[in-house]
Amino acid sequence: MPVFDYSLLLKGQYHDMLVAGLVLSLQLAAATLVCALPLALLVALLRLAPAAALRWIGFAYVESIRNIPLLAHMLFWYFAAPELLPAGLKAWLYSGNIEAASAVVALTLYTAAYMSEDIRSGIRAIPAVQFEAGRALGFGFLATMRRVILPQALRITVPPLISQTLNLWKNTSIATVIGAAELMYQAGQVESATFRSFESFAFATAAYLTVSLAITGLAAWYQSRYPSRTA
Amino acid sequence: MQRRLFTALLAAGLAFAGAAQADQLADIKQKGRLVVGVLGTDEPNSFLDPKTRELVGYEVDLGNAVAKALGVKAQFKQIAIAARIPELQQGHVDLLAASLTHNKEREAQIDFSLTTFVTGQKAMVRKSSGVKDVPELAGKRVLTAKGGTQEPNIRKAAPTAEVVTYENSQQAFLALQQGKGVAYVNDELSLLVDIAKLGPKGQEYTMLPTNLSIEPLALGIKKGEAGLKAVVDETLRALEKSGDAEKLYMKWFGPGTKTNSNTRSFKFETDKIAG
Repeated sequence: MPVFDYSLLLKGQYHDMLVAGLVLSLQLAAATLVCALPLALLVALLRLAPAAALRWIGFAYVESIRNIPLLAHMLFWYFAAPELLPAGLKAWLYSGNIEAASAVVALTLYTAAYMSEDIRSGIRAIPAVQFEAGRALGFGFLATMRRVILPQALRITVPPLISQTLNLWKNTSIATVIGAAELMYQAGQVESATFRSFESFAFATAAYLTVSLAITGLAAWYQSRYPSRTA
Repeated sequence: MQRRLFTALLAAGLAFAGAAQADQLADIKQKGRLVVGVLGTDEPNSFLDPKTRELVGYEVDLGNAVAKALGVKAQFKQIAIAARIPELQQGHVDLLAASLTHNKEREAQIDFSLTTFVTGQKAMVRKSSGVKDVPELAGKRVLTAKGGTQEPNIRKAAPTAEVVTYENSQQAFLALQQGKGVAYVNDELSLLVDIAKLGPKGQEYTMLPTNLSIEPLALGIKKGEAGLKAVVDETLRALEKSGDAEKLYMKWFGPGTKTNSNTRSFKFETDKIAG
């Protein structure tokens, strides 16, 4: 049985490749999180809006995005969508890191669809009387949401949002099919170059596991520090 | 009593261990079929005929010839470029006929049959890009498929080029057409087929003159399977002697095909490679 060669992972060219992949995965996840949370909040509020047209827009977004696999999103935003842009913008985009950009767009839309549903559930968990009280005080829909409902709702929503973040972290691996040089891509490259599949994928597994456990630890800390207050 | 049980188990264990080392050739004959791993996306080595939707190609024909020599049926399994060697090593396929380059690094992993094809790896660019030869690719984006010999060859030829790899060569070619990179690297014959597929738009593309490498392609056999290798090499020598090897080359690469080559520059004669 071949010997497990640790030196491959700890220093040298292949170690650098794997670490670069890990860094890009973290960057993809962070960029997506920063963009997806506001978008998710917007879509959740759209779904709860008083105007039916706005509710329909929110519904259409969530249903169309959620029901298509992330792989299809990735391939669409990389091969199909950029082709529709005007030539000047397209050339500028292609000269940069189009792979990472397409991956972030696909991941943002996908993650925001799921997160918006979690936020909407959190808002609905607040008793309706809170909203009525806010309106009775003269606040409009958005003002009531901002001042009364969301501060309470977000505390309840954080655990499901953290589990969506966990999903997001794992979903960054799908960017490998569009050529983004993230962790799974680099693990595959190292494996092709050295024929050492066990070592390269062990590194990838350990990296994913470590960050996932850190995210889960964060969830546990948050729940003990800020337990949800019942009404 | 326990000692007897232990000894019996030990004997049984050793007997099974012996059986596990059984010759793959005998296994294939017993199963009645030869599982051949092919790419299915590399015209004309192995590809799906657009009209009949069947797997056809130069290497498919070679696989069928080997199966016939063994007296079994050939079963073709489509596999990804990066999965070729692992699938062979794990025994999911018996033989690889998947545009497999024979090089020194791989000799440590698997055995190779006689060289069945010789091609060069080249880069294709748009004529409008102004790139005249491989050294000018420095610092530019080069596209290719992942898991093959293209990427290491690019890095050797143009160390500062930014290599982007995709799941298969067709996606890489699409990305070149879309302008996501300056050059697309693959073996020369696949490039000729790709240009031909574009029809009149193929005029916009040209191949850079320098070869990134000379690639001898061969069939892949699991390491240590001398029996199977003997049969495969024997089959290839018989094809060469009877003139079928020449006919096969002309059928897939000769005049009238997309490659339109007039002469075959190699024979099925050796499994030794240069360097």
